[in-house]
Amino acid sequence: MQWTKKRKQTITLLAFVFPALLFYAVFMLAPAFGGIGYSLTDWNGLNPTYHWVGFANYTEALTDDPYFIKSIWFTLRFVAFMVVLQNALALLLAVFVESRGRSKVWFRTIFFMPNMISMIIGGFMWLFIFTKVLSYIAEHSGFGFLDQSWIGDPDFSFYAIIIVSLWGGVGFLMVIYIAAIQGVPQPLKEAAAIDGANTFQTFRNITLPMIYPALTIGIFLTLNSSFKAFDAVYALTGGGPGRATQVIALNIFEEAFSFNSRYGYASAKAMILFLIVFLITIVQLRFMKNREVEA
Amino acid sequence: MKKALYMSLVLVLMVSVISACSSKNNNETKPSAIASESESASASASASESASPSEVKADTPPQKVELKVFMSFPRFKDQFESYFAQFKAKELAGKNIDVTIKLEMPNPDQAKQILQTRLASNDAPDVFTLHAIADIPTYYKAGYLSDLSDQPFVPKVYESVRKTVTYDGKVVALPLESLSWGYLYNKKIFADLGITPPQTIDEMNAAIDKINAAKIKPFMLAFQESWIPQLMMALSLGGTVSSAHPDWIEKMNKGEASYKDVASVFDIIDLIMANGTSKPFEVGNEAGSTDFANGKAAMWVQGPWQAETILKVNPNMEFGVAPLPVSNDPAGAMINLATSTSLAVSPTSKNKEVALDLVNYVLDDKDSAPLFETLKFNPVATMHTYETFPWITEASSYVAKGKAYLDLSLPNGVTDETAKLLQSYYAKTVSKEEIIKTLDKTWAKAIKTQQ
Repeated sequence: MQWTKKRKQTITLLAFVFPALLFYAVFMLAPAFGGIGYSLTDWNGLNPTYHWVGFANYTEALTDDPYFIKSIWFTLRFVAFMVVLQNALALLLAVFVESRGRSKVWFRTIFFMPNMISMIIGGFMWLFIFTKVLSYIAEHSGFGFLDQSWIGDPDFSFYAIIIVSLWGGVGFLMVIYIAAIQGVPQPLKEAAAIDGANTFQTFRNITLPMIYPALTIGIFLTLNSSFKAFDAVYALTGGGPGRATQVIALNIFEEAFSFNSRYGYASAKAMILFLIVFLITIVQLRFMKNREVEA
Repeated sequence: MKKALYMSLVLVLMVSVISACSSKNNNETKPSAIASESESASASASASESASPSEVKADTPPQKVELKVFMSFPRFKDQFESYFAQFKAKELAGKNIDVTIKLEMPNPDQAKQILQTRLASNDAPDVFTLHAIADIPTYYKAGYLSDLSDQPFVPKVYESVRKTVTYDGKVVALPLESLSWGYLYNKKIFADLGITPPQTIDEMNAAIDKINAAKIKPFMLAFQESWIPQLMMALSLGGTVSSAHPDWIEKMNKGEASYKDVASVFDIIDLIMANGTSKPFEVGNEAGSTDFANGKAAMWVQGPWQAETILKVNPNMEFGVAPLPVSNDPAGAMINLATSTSLAVSPTSKNKEVALDLVNYVLDDKDSAPLFETLKFNPVATMHTYETFPWITEASSYVAKGKAYLDLSLPNGVTDETAKLLQSYYAKTVSKEEIIKTLDKTWAKAIKTQQ
């Protein structure tokens, strides 16, 4: 009796997730495994026939493709900046918004707003700001330093990309952190206040440890999304000038859809990207899960 | 079966990725077309044809044939629909065949990927468009093109254009859009300063000095999209190779030559970059057209396919097309002759006879000229005797003098690589020597992967 009931429950559950699972399998899992297969071929996306080349694509990507290696380093630098800045800013904003009284809702909405705009559109908006608005401001006010080639100079375009990505991503993390901060039990804070802790000490020793699970998620999300960064870079610089701001995803995209249309080779690169993201996030999750505390 | 399903799923995903991020294509006309309404197109086409057949023949019922036509021309939907309606009437009257044409016209940015998906999944359209220079070699090798050499349209096509659609000794496509291009110049500025289009680098230097003295920027630079700086190399390499190193491409393909042999191609590129407008990476194609139309620069290395955009900004703009000087030998200044969009027939077509009839009808002796005229295409064959735009006439006058060359057939990927490198070259992140080295390497690699 017990057994059949449990089984029934399992079947009901499966039936409920089945539609989602089906779409996930057909549109995510199948192509992903297909991609593994293609990464071992020299298919060009057009020929009816192709050859199995084993791991030649992988060795070529890692040993004989300076642009790919360069794009990995560029992406790592981008990820480092994004993980630190995005989380720090989101946390700051969350604390700031939480400290407001009735205007809380307004600030929350305003900071979250950019997240609702597609990054491609956001990118084009910022392109206008960087190319037209900033040089106009520089011309009509004293801020001469704003008049830079924000898109054309590789040194500046890196920061342009960081600024746009932060603008688009901070709001979402902020909402997560706000929720976490609201979940910190009030009695703990009161107890700390009675013990004579100041605001900073309360934050450092009470709030921060209590929102550690949210930090884990926040860092996980930023790691993930910044490794896969594509749309902001694509809209702003297109990886240019030349390949100065090319991220891995853009390198893969160009390998597959322009140049020699080497789909097989591009799939191999995509697999390498997947492995990098997979390894780093596993390490990160392990490391941070161990440090979480509960009230 | 399983494999086919599997593959098509993967491809569907790829296509959806592409449609999300529109790709840029080189060398091709960039129409400002919006997503096509192919469904409504075929719907209205079938509606119009269902009315006609019943009234013509009565004795034998007409043979029913369906043709799938794939074109990357959503901006010319109306023109082609009415042309195909004429074709249907002709087939019905002449051969008693009732043709249904399923016309598909996706956005040109995505068309190539959609077509490749179709071809790779054994669902080839009977007749489709492709890019003559960029696509013919790969498509031919994959076996997706029919040999059209013995078709009646072939002898009618101009010799110079026919060469661009001939591969491996066979005519494999029908040229639709042909281009003859050099750089654009502002006729008013040139006339005011008393300059005629220079034919050598020294003359170009003199012209630049005059234009600079008039406080006008000599060259428009719009480098945001990498295919535009690439045009400089296309012209400069084309002129240099065709005038001084005719066997260079062949030698490159064998691995016996290097870009070092034609290093002088950088002379004119350096000159243009040194005398151009500032902040070129922030100027795209549209912004560049606007600036050029407003007289912000005297010359722009850009093709006449930009005419529509320029005239939209400034309808009174007078510009000309001239060949770019590449050295002090005036013979090196040449117009580039290229064919972009062409029409091919699939070898797996079930109704190849009718498909061939349709392709031949595009260059019909009587009906073709009005079609090409409304499409504003350049004349490609003997029956195209209509009046052309002044800049096309100007370019054609150079062609008539023999100052023209056929677009060089570089291996896939080399053009894209050049485009990227020229952007970096302007940003001073690569040197001339590095460009030469990288291009040599890319060329060798492309030859290797093509085999």
